[in-house]
Amino acid sequence: MKVRKSYLLLASVTIWILLGRFLNGKHTLQIATYENTAFTSYVGEKALDLRGNRTESPAFVYFFNPIRGVIDGFVQAIRNLISVPTPNSVIPIIGWLGVVGIVAFAVYATSQWRTALLCVSLLLACGALGMWQFTMDSIAMTLAAVLLSLAVGIPLGIWAGLSDRVLKIFTPFLDLAQILPTLVYMAPIALVFMIGAASATIATMIYSIPIAIRITSHAIRSLNQAPVEAAESMGSTQKQKLTKVQIPMAKQMIVLGINQTVMAAVSFVVIAALIGAPGLGKPVIEALIIRNVGQGFVAGFAVVFLAILLDRSTSAAAKRQVSFVPATDKQIKTKRITLIVGGILAVVSVILSRTMLWAAVWPKEVTIAPQVAKVTNNITAWILENLTIFTVGFKDLISYGFLNPLETQLAASPWYVTVAMIVALALIIAGTRTAIMAFVLSMAIVLSGLWYEAMLTLTQTIVGCLLTMIIGLALGIWSGRSDRAEKVMRPFLDAGQTLPAFVYLVPMLGLFGPTRFTAIATGIVYAIPVVVKIVSEGIRAVPHALVEAATAAGSTTRQIITKVQLPAAKKTILLATNQGLIYVLAVVVIGGFVGAGGLGYLVIAGNSKPELQGKGLIAGVAILLLGVIFDRIMQAGARRSS
Amino acid sequence: MKSRFGRRSAIVTAAIATALVISGCSSVNDSASEGSGDCGSYAIAMHAWGGYTASAQVLAEVAKQELGCTITQTTLEEGPVTYDAMEAGTIDVIIEDWGGGRWKDWSDRGAVVEAGENGNIGIIGMYVAPWMVEKYPDITDSKNLNKYASLFKTADSGGKGAWFEGPTGYTTIGEKMVSANKLNFKVIFSGSEAALVDGFIKAEANKTPFIGYAWQPWTLHSKLPTLEAARVKFPANDWSDPAAASGLTDYPSTPLIKLISKKLNDANDPFTSLVKNFKWTNADQNGVAADLEGGMSAEEAAKKWIAANAETVASWTGK
Repeated sequence: MKVRKSYLLLASVTIWILLGRFLNGKHTLQIATYENTAFTSYVGEKALDLRGNRTESPAFVYFFNPIRGVIDGFVQAIRNLISVPTPNSVIPIIGWLGVVGIVAFAVYATSQWRTALLCVSLLLACGALGMWQFTMDSIAMTLAAVLLSLAVGIPLGIWAGLSDRVLKIFTPFLDLAQILPTLVYMAPIALVFMIGAASATIATMIYSIPIAIRITSHAIRSLNQAPVEAAESMGSTQKQKLTKVQIPMAKQMIVLGINQTVMAAVSFVVIAALIGAPGLGKPVIEALIIRNVGQGFVAGFAVVFLAILLDRSTSAAAKRQVSFVPATDKQIKTKRITLIVGGILAVVSVILSRTMLWAAVWPKEVTIAPQVAKVTNNITAWILENLTIFTVGFKDLISYGFLNPLETQLAASPWYVTVAMIVALALIIAGTRTAIMAFVLSMAIVLSGLWYEAMLTLTQTIVGCLLTMIIGLALGIWSGRSDRAEKVMRPFLDAGQTLPAFVYLVPMLGLFGPTRFTAIATGIVYAIPVVVKIVSEGIRAVPHALVEAATAAGSTTRQIITKVQLPAAKKTILLATNQGLIYVLAVVVIGGFVGAGGLGYLVIAGNSKPELQGKGLIAGVAILLLGVIFDRIMQAGARRSS
Repeated sequence: MKSRFGRRSAIVTAAIATALVISGCSSVNDSASEGSGDCGSYAIAMHAWGGYTASAQVLAEVAKQELGCTITQTTLEEGPVTYDAMEAGTIDVIIEDWGGGRWKDWSDRGAVVEAGENGNIGIIGMYVAPWMVEKYPDITDSKNLNKYASLFKTADSGGKGAWFEGPTGYTTIGEKMVSANKLNFKVIFSGSEAALVDGFIKAEANKTPFIGYAWQPWTLHSKLPTLEAARVKFPANDWSDPAAASGLTDYPSTPLIKLISKKLNDANDPFTSLVKNFKWTNADQNGVAADLEGGMSAEEAAKKWIAANAETVASWTGK
């Protein structure tokens, strides 16, 4: 069965290549960028109408605009608290010292002094990077989005935790939200809610609500059933059972869900700046536009610091160690006294930050930004000067060796050949149902008129995913087999996952120039951490008994890896590939900013050229469809292989 | 144990509540407002190219220093994004807009109001790397481009010359120019100013061939002083609307326009007339932009120009 499948695959790919050669350049559906199809120009007109209607149509007057107003007001209130001056004032309600005091006290009260110290140093570091106000803006935006996400996500999550039917209805939407590249849904949101804090908050919520729902419902579902049944047998009502048993028991995990929701919101900080979010995203994107690597890194570091700060302070609360030894009276008393003292200090810091200018506005003199910018600029300049020969050589190698042939195959073949092949692959790898879905979605892309661009994006995604998997597998196996390697890589992987892709897009541009490969390289850097983490976990999950048996039988390390660990972790590796593909796709489309073309460029162009607005919106949908097609094929393939 | 945590969170809540209550009380900073009576509080759009930053910063400093306005400067992308923000009431001024009438839908609705030319003249064109002009003197004539097309080949250009098109949102007709003039080039959408700067600087430094979209006023000219001589000349222009361009001809030169929000237009206060009167030359803008490029902060560079050009400033403010 297995052999037949690989023969089938080989045969279809061969036919595909031959057909592609033979019919090269025919029916590619390529249209010039400035041209619209009937469909895209129709969508563009509708979008223009929508813009025009925003002040009059009832849907806007009574629904969207009030929502925008409320969210804008909410964000503004938080910003006035810590970031921007209130009307008739030059400083926000709480100055920097007050914020530091409150954070220190709150973190100390919910976890330990060490975490509090870390959080305070991170905050001060953001200030020293000259990013105090941007950081506060980002905190305000994150706070607003998280509070609203939790207000929606936790109730829905509890509902989905209690009812199988509800979970079944939610699941496809939750899956979709995980595939959705962030660049895609920002334009439609901005169209309805306009550029500004409200749109940015809503976009962030779309990203973070699914996570809150997922973890909350999982928390309810994975409860130990004994106490729940006991409550039932004692005649508790449904409501009592929920509020007295299930929610308290699931609390710890729901707090973890809060942590994950916060992290999702933070990862949105930069890209949300494209639709007017105040905060750290602004300097990052500005740095991209004016190509200032140093400035980009200064702001990028602040984003990483902020992410660590929010992660540690929320996860500390979730993981709080409850000691089994009851605290002595003396310990309780000491803790209470330190808390009271800490509280008084926090209050004093707030008062100071309201009465003293030095405590209200971050002193400009305290800055390490120029030094950091200079160092990163120097490092980048050195790399550019000395490594460009290699990087350009590597870029050309990949471009001529993989990108161009694959692009010819996918984009320059007639569309029906490529569609047929995608469907055939889906059929062989994933089965009939997935094949039908792949056919329908591919045809939707064809009908949208953006097939050619979609194939350009697909080419880049596939090449990026291949390279990611080569590097990611190697690093993942290494970190899965060696605790020390894992320990060394961990901080880099964590930082890599929080450092916004926009920050290294500029250095990549320097290394590879305005080319497709710049987008691919950026996608690889973005996707590697998640792939390494999944692969490493998969390798670690291989039963020790298997490995030991192989060792005892005298296998070499290489044999153990290739004959035991990799086959046993096959399913995880397939899932890692899937994640890699989705991550690469999400970033490759940002490559539209640096000469990669494809669907991503159309999305960006649609944002700035009214005549291309419809095309940009449709391009966003096409990116999503591509993501869904390949996610489904790989998921089904992974399920079947186990 | 439960009661211990209960007590603890009670203390925490109490302390934070106290902090918030205190912060609600009035204190020193409330009196320290910057604005004086007759000029309100406005937001200037900050588009992220050097020339724009120069103009907007000078405008902001004059408004603050001379009129006592409260000015916020908001970075955002040009074009519809900003027009939407003006309609939503979060942006009041675009000091330099290049797009020939692309704001029409917004101005028809009255959301955006044209406030005249800002005095800068925008020139757009296709430029080769300056070193090429010396080596191939006839390259700046569009008719000779095909002769050199093979020089411009890259891994991304599919066997043709690579033609680096302008950033998104800029007026671009590269695809039309290539097809109408039957040029053996492939249009590559650079996507950002950064990509173009990178391309020109590297090409000049390494003496590699490069042809790309460039414009005046632009800070790249201060880094590559001979760039203007490297403009490829197409027959004179015959269009003002990109949709109507044949592609055979060059880009027209454009007087750059100021746009203001309806709110600012209606307010008719000193800032309104300052924006309407604001007018300066390409040389003015390039000077400030060069200072910025040299590492001066936007504020310093603007203040330097204001100090040196008191008369012009007075003609804007009417003081």
